[in-house]
Amino acid sequence: MPANQPLWLRAVLRLERAIGEPIESAVRSDTYFDLVSATTRARRKVEGAAEGLSRRCLHMLNLPAGSDIRRMRQQLARMERRLNQLAHDVSELDEADVRSEVR
Amino acid sequence: MNPRVPSVINPGDLVSRLNRDVERSILRARNGIRYVRGSHSPPVGATPKDVVWKRDKAELWRYKGGDRRYGPPVVIVHSLVSRSYILDLRPGNSTVEYLTRAGLDVFMLDWGVPDELDADNDLERYVDWYLPRALAAAREASGHEEVTLAGYCLGGVLAALYAAGHEDARVRNLILMATPVDFDEMGAMVALLREGRLNPEEMIDETGNVPADALYSGFYMLAPTTEVAQKATLLENLWNDEFVEGFQAMATWSRDHVPFPGAAFRQLVELLVRQNILMTGSMPLGGRPVELADVRGNVLNAMAERDNVVPAPAVEPVMHLVGDPARREELRLPGGHVTFGTGRSAFKHTMPKLTGWIIEHSDTPA
Repeated sequence: MPANQPLWLRAVLRLERAIGEPIESAVRSDTYFDLVSATTRARRKVEGAAEGLSRRCLHMLNLPAGSDIRRMRQQLARMERRLNQLAHDVSELDEADVRSEVR
Repeated sequence: MNPRVPSVINPGDLVSRLNRDVERSILRARNGIRYVRGSHSPPVGATPKDVVWKRDKAELWRYKGGDRRYGPPVVIVHSLVSRSYILDLRPGNSTVEYLTRAGLDVFMLDWGVPDELDADNDLERYVDWYLPRALAAAREASGHEEVTLAGYCLGGVLAALYAAGHEDARVRNLILMATPVDFDEMGAMVALLREGRLNPEEMIDETGNVPADALYSGFYMLAPTTEVAQKATLLENLWNDEFVEGFQAMATWSRDHVPFPGAAFRQLVELLVRQNILMTGSMPLGGRPVELADVRGNVLNAMAERDNVVPAPAVEPVMHLVGDPARREELRLPGGHVTFGTGRSAFKHTMPKLTGWIIEHSDTPA
């Protein structure tokens, strides 16, 4: 800690370390890890249940649900990826042709 | 007696101290308002550059401004989890600018911001598809047959796998900056995945990628209270324009993570984290084993001693695994994970030492 720091700043930095160190060791503990994984799983479960319910309701009204749109976006992304790849392959073949002609 | 309290108070000193304090208070108020309003964002990634190659979101930039006295070109491969402007944070405080001004021909391979189009990008896509093409473009643009390949963080893993897995890699120098190989030493954030308490699928969102905020939360939880200390230090230095700009640039970067492509993340968890496969010296990639010892050329293993993102013990085994033992060198730097890009330690130690090593292993000017 530099000596030219004002007292208030030194006090804040000391306090931060006094509180921070136990928190840092707490977030590296097994209990915290278990808590994070349990929270993540619980959140996923709740989201999944809510999504299933809203999907059923929307489908009853013959409306697309968010999950339908997501699936469609994934399919479109897959298609776009394949198209991009084909475009890259074709341009590389063109470049190779040009190089061989130049030689 | 308290050494900070002068025994005799000189009226002249008192007036000049008062003047300084008033001046600083005015500057504090002005900078404080600017900071709260967010109206004065410092420029980041400002070194002039040309885009010399682009595929999908990946771009290869060539920096301008130096007289390019040394060869081969230096190609920096950035990590997949953060933004590359950490290595070009601010004019006057930029690794890229430092290297360029030293006469090196500097390129940066930036991966962009992945979205659902990149969800299927696996490690093979980066190592066997983007990297060979980007490096061919760098060689063509610079007119050199070889490159100095410098990987930062996870970018170092990609660079090492490329240099080891391609016989025609022509990497004269491989620089690994804070590059993890022993994932058992990677600390709390990785332990959750290693021990199976979290599965990769639970972290991947509907775009097929790990969202950027999940990565930010992971980094934030490494030291959740340090922000208080940082804000207090900012308050004390709020009168100092340069300090405020540096603080803002760094704060912007530390919150500015990018999504991690889902396919690469699954591989990373299974192979690198759970099997800790790099420690065997060999990794299966694209249906073939890639032996890290097959890296030809000089290897510099640079690590930061106070790095809490990639701790030094996770980096040290590079010295036993990558390349020819006779051509490996280690560089230990004071500072943390960002010492490769910014900070007092970067300017004092990292930039001069890295630049010196590269120049020493480059062709001298004719």
